[in-house]
Amino acid sequence: PSSMAAAGSVKAALQVAEVLETIVSCCVGPEGRQVLCTKPTGEVLLSRDGGRLLEALHLEHPIARMIVACVSSHLKKTGDGAKTFIIFLCHLLRGLHAVTDREKDSLICKNIQTHGRHWKNCCQWKFISQSLLMFQTQVLDCIMDQYLSRHFLSIFSSAKERTLSRSSLELLLEAYFCGRVGRNNQKFISQLMCDYFFKCMTCESGIDVFELVDDCFVELNVGVTGLPVSDSRIVAGLVLHRDFSVYCPADGDIRIVMVTETIQPLFLTSGSEFILNSEAQFQTSQFWVMERTKAIMKHLHSQSVKLLLSSVKQPDLVIYYAGLNGISVVECLSSEEVSLIQRIIGLSPFVLPQASSQCEISDTALVKFCKPLILRSKRYVHLGLASTRTFIPHCIVLCGPVQGLIEQHEGALHGAFKMLRQLFKDLDLNYMTEANDQNDTSSPLISKNSRESNQLPEIGNGSLQSPRQDTAVKNKDKLEKTQTYLIVNSNLVVSNVELEMYIPCSTAKLTPTGTFQTDETLRCLSLGKNTIIDNCEPLIESNSTVNSITENTRIEISYENLQVTKIAGKDSMLPVRCELPDMCTSQSYYSSSMPAGCVLPVGGNFEILLHYYLLNYAKKCQQSEQTMVSMIVANALLGIPKILYKSKKGNYSFPQVYIRALHALQTNQPLVSSQTGLESVAGKYQLLTSVLQCLTKILTIDLVINVKRQPQKVYDQDSEDEL
Amino acid sequence: MSRLEAKKPSLCKSEPLTSEKVRATLSVWKGIVSSCYGPSGRLKQVHNGFGGYVCTTSQSSSLLSHLLVTHPILKILTTSMQNHVSCFSDCGLFTAILCCNLIENVQRIGLTPTTVIKLNKRLLRLCTNYLKSEACGCRLPVDFSSTQILLCLVRSILTSKPASMLTRKEIDHISTLILKAFLLTIPEKPEDHIILGKSIIVPLKGQRVIDSTVLPGILIEMSEVQLMKLLPIKKSGALKVALFCTTLSGDLSDTGEGTVVVSCGVSLENAVLDQLLNLGRQLVSDHVDLVLCQKVIHPSLKQLLSVHRVIAVDRIGVALMEPLSKVTGTQPIGSLGSISPSSYGSVKDLCTAKFGSKHFFHLIPNEATICSLLLCNRNDTAWDELKLTCQTALHVLQLTIKEPWVLLGGGCTETHLAAYIRHKTHNEPESILKDDGCTQTELHLMAEAFCSALESLAASLEHDGGEILTDMKYGHFWSVQADSPSAVNWPDLLSQCGCGLYNSREELSWSFLRSTRHPFTPQTCLPHEAVGSGSNLTVDCWTAKLSGLEVAVETANLILDLSYVIEDKN
Repeated sequence: PSSMAAAGSVKAALQVAEVLETIVSCCVGPEGRQVLCTKPTGEVLLSRDGGRLLEALHLEHPIARMIVACVSSHLKKTGDGAKTFIIFLCHLLRGLHAVTDREKDSLICKNIQTHGRHWKNCCQWKFISQSLLMFQTQVLDCIMDQYLSRHFLSIFSSAKERTLSRSSLELLLEAYFCGRVGRNNQKFISQLMCDYFFKCMTCESGIDVFELVDDCFVELNVGVTGLPVSDSRIVAGLVLHRDFSVYCPADGDIRIVMVTETIQPLFLTSGSEFILNSEAQFQTSQFWVMERTKAIMKHLHSQSVKLLLSSVKQPDLVIYYAGLNGISVVECLSSEEVSLIQRIIGLSPFVLPQASSQCEISDTALVKFCKPLILRSKRYVHLGLASTRTFIPHCIVLCGPVQGLIEQHEGALHGAFKMLRQLFKDLDLNYMTEANDQNDTSSPLISKNSRESNQLPEIGNGSLQSPRQDTAVKNKDKLEKTQTYLIVNSNLVVSNVELEMYIPCSTAKLTPTGTFQTDETLRCLSLGKNTIIDNCEPLIESNSTVNSITENTRIEISYENLQVTKIAGKDSMLPVRCELPDMCTSQSYYSSSMPAGCVLPVGGNFEILLHYYLLNYAKKCQQSEQTMVSMIVANALLGIPKILYKSKKGNYSFPQVYIRALHALQTNQPLVSSQTGLESVAGKYQLLTSVLQCLTKILTIDLVINVKRQPQKVYDQDSEDEL
Repeated sequence: MSRLEAKKPSLCKSEPLTSEKVRATLSVWKGIVSSCYGPSGRLKQVHNGFGGYVCTTSQSSSLLSHLLVTHPILKILTTSMQNHVSCFSDCGLFTAILCCNLIENVQRIGLTPTTVIKLNKRLLRLCTNYLKSEACGCRLPVDFSSTQILLCLVRSILTSKPASMLTRKEIDHISTLILKAFLLTIPEKPEDHIILGKSIIVPLKGQRVIDSTVLPGILIEMSEVQLMKLLPIKKSGALKVALFCTTLSGDLSDTGEGTVVVSCGVSLENAVLDQLLNLGRQLVSDHVDLVLCQKVIHPSLKQLLSVHRVIAVDRIGVALMEPLSKVTGTQPIGSLGSISPSSYGSVKDLCTAKFGSKHFFHLIPNEATICSLLLCNRNDTAWDELKLTCQTALHVLQLTIKEPWVLLGGGCTETHLAAYIRHKTHNEPESILKDDGCTQTELHLMAEAFCSALESLAASLEHDGGEILTDMKYGHFWSVQADSPSAVNWPDLLSQCGCGLYNSREELSWSFLRSTRHPFTPQTCLPHEAVGSGSNLTVDCWTAKLSGLEVAVETANLILDLSYVIEDKN
């Protein structure tokens, strides 16, 4: 059984992801199509929303379920990117799988027992997953901050005040809705959203408005079935999803109050006991209740209250007196509606006094109008809520021939607000550049220096040696080339002051072979170029730095020219190894932030850029597993633009676009995009990190155990113990 | 205890429209709806085989509500139609058939969904712009100074529902009644916002259709015995009315959540009854003549009231409360205590009436926009169908008052529109395409599919094997009887076009609708006299048909865009 589960991780995950990819990729991008889902209740739902599709599938496979859970937690944050998530994950898994396949052919694994190999594999996956995490925390943010950021555009026309012009919002939204709404409605819905945005916003609006709209989106729109989508519109004020219990027309500003309990005093409150001794007593108490209700309603009237909003059902008596006093009543508001009204106009429910006959209404508010709104022969309450400093309340009336379509549009609009909410936030990028890392680098170091390659798995902790050995042999002849490249590099950064300090140190330490030495100095230079060692500390520190450098170089070399290492490493191994335990890693923490409103043109720009810079990084990277991870991520990134350009031909086909982009980047020319539209960088970045986290999760699972038991409720064990 | 069960995985099918089963299902559905279409449409009998209710109908609304569809794609189609019908009451079959035709035709031409959807949208825009434009050749303005067009509209609706089994004479009678009922709901005093009243349809099954009638005010049905008790009505002239929405049965009102401990010998029922009787005395002293209650009135209170010659009617039901409050001008009373005099209302007169075997209590208002339409038909199913038809007609009249146009009926709008699209796409394809990335060939293919969908929709009006022609001047719809000799002089066989606007005396040339024709410019502006002399035209509701067209194309686009169907099997 364990061997069955051994296939568990990557291969199974890849199979699952590929199935999901085929479903999801049909809905991606502007050319994407719709999927029809039926609910168990018989309702039909139309969707291009990846998250919804994945949920509708009710997948059984444990890994699939894990992936879906990851996607939905990502969606909760960002509201976008479920489809890209799957595609990207799938490509990452493919990349990893390719690495494994190569490994299988290699000599090392052949003489190891199957069972043992499984565990070895697991260790290896765990190792990769760790380097993935490291990649995410160190490399990704670094590249975003140092390279990618120069390509970012800002959605704001003026960055300081965060003003947003209509045209740029349109570009952003059109691109967003392209992936979320059916083709015949993309433009319309995007315009609707744009209108809504500008109608609701004041010049002082900030992120809080997005939060408000995002939180209360359900209350801010009304669905009307049976009308064409083009009848959708925006109405000023708030539309409550119910009718008046009493409607008394009134002009001018209308004073409103809100209650959360019945106005008619309860005959008896809970827990109390009422002893009736005579019929008259009962009648008196009934009379008191009646008079009290009457008095309260009269009082409301005297305060010129014209509308009573109630979250509970009011008794007939209250309704009657409300009508007599010219007060309109809306009952049974949901708690969400109550809180929305509270948030917009700051009206809190008034509390009925227990004893005194006269009550003071502490909180009233004014609305501009209050009238019935008839949509498709159903009546709603239309409230002209006054606007606040930051928000002018408006509602969207969404029309569509079927409920499923309205839900799709509602979901897309909601997602768009989530996306904007993210976009309006600064994104913190924290990264730590480590000059060395004990765990990761020490083991390859040892193994490479030992000449008996067959014993490798036993010595090392079963990690990444083998692919490197493979390539090492292949790359033998590339040695010359690499060296020339490195020399070029060194010429470039000679002026770096900090590095000059290290060079003598390292040369002093590692003298054995000439080639090695040169290589290493060069490595130092390229390291310096990346400005990793920023907090340059005194000479004591420099010793350790040198260690790290030597190590890194070594790995790099072993990757590219095995022979050199073999000769060179023999002598140098011991001193280096000795210093490993007390090696103090020189780390530099950076925290930078991506300003709010960063966007890139659509059409795979983000992916291609990141791909390019990751490859560049990988070329320079000393740590081989980081190189590998970067390569895999970089290549997987291309999967998305590949799908986007699938239907394009000729000059607009993917290879052409890709080559043009690379050329532009190499020659420092601006990238030219064939498509109009913008997308949020923060969203893309978050997607990337979510996928990497999901992949890490998948990789750390070694065994999937299938239990043939009905699902059970999970009880909190502690509480049971206490009992 | 809640039972947890593992969810079954869903069933996922790709490219649903290519499956043979789906195509077959769609064509069966199309067969059902298109065979119902029009005045000569065939009736459908829907029953469940277990002795349940049998429904005989040709209307989309009852057909859709009785049929049970399971296939997801068909479900999208039917819910879309149902939603349209519940919005507009009319043009459900039109929408359904057009949608099916479009899907079928588009599949035949084999363009990619992207192109199809883009072009469909363009063509739809072309149609709606045309139908909304002044130059539209198939739209008539409604002249509210005469009843002619409105009568035509109602009559067209009645004729197109053969399941209500009306003769020509009965159609005329019911049409006038419906129009009368509608006019009664329009307030006499002009105000800023006109709020239309309500026509209440009162069932009177088993009577002759000719006995149907319209009365202003409200009819409350009651048994003869009850009615005898109420009589005689004492005075003439206006009567004071009190309308209760709370129960007067003497039930204990809600006492809250605590406990009530009642001492021995104390009767709460008596206490409440005392209260009720006090209320009764107040009503009497306020000179109320008529007490109406939504719920039940306690017999003792009834007794008290009748002693004082106050008429009490209870169990009115919630449906009549709003009209009653409107007719009498009362504020529904929700209190057993003191009643504010301002909540009383009045009626002009009160009488009893007997229609067929039923007895009614008739409230005649001073002036109100509520009327009762007593509707008779021979049997239950035919009555149900007639009632739906009347509701449709009343709704359509309301829609027409908002947007005062009608479209030519009898298939003429469809053929005319098809001719217009052909002409436009042929002569100015660039203006339609605008740089959309579609080629002219694609546009022509799609326009052909779109036009033939419209034309075969018009052709489904013919169920008796007749031949359909179209003229080459107006692009109207002409039908020839099935057994007529071929190759004769067309004007001899044709009398007038589908809508009745043109007759064959004019110099026209005809061609078969199915045959290919050269695109021609259909004459757009209507002759002025046609607008006035429309004594016997077939016309359709403009609002409903326009929306139906949009919904049909949108739904077709939706279905054509499907790449997967995920069925939840739980």
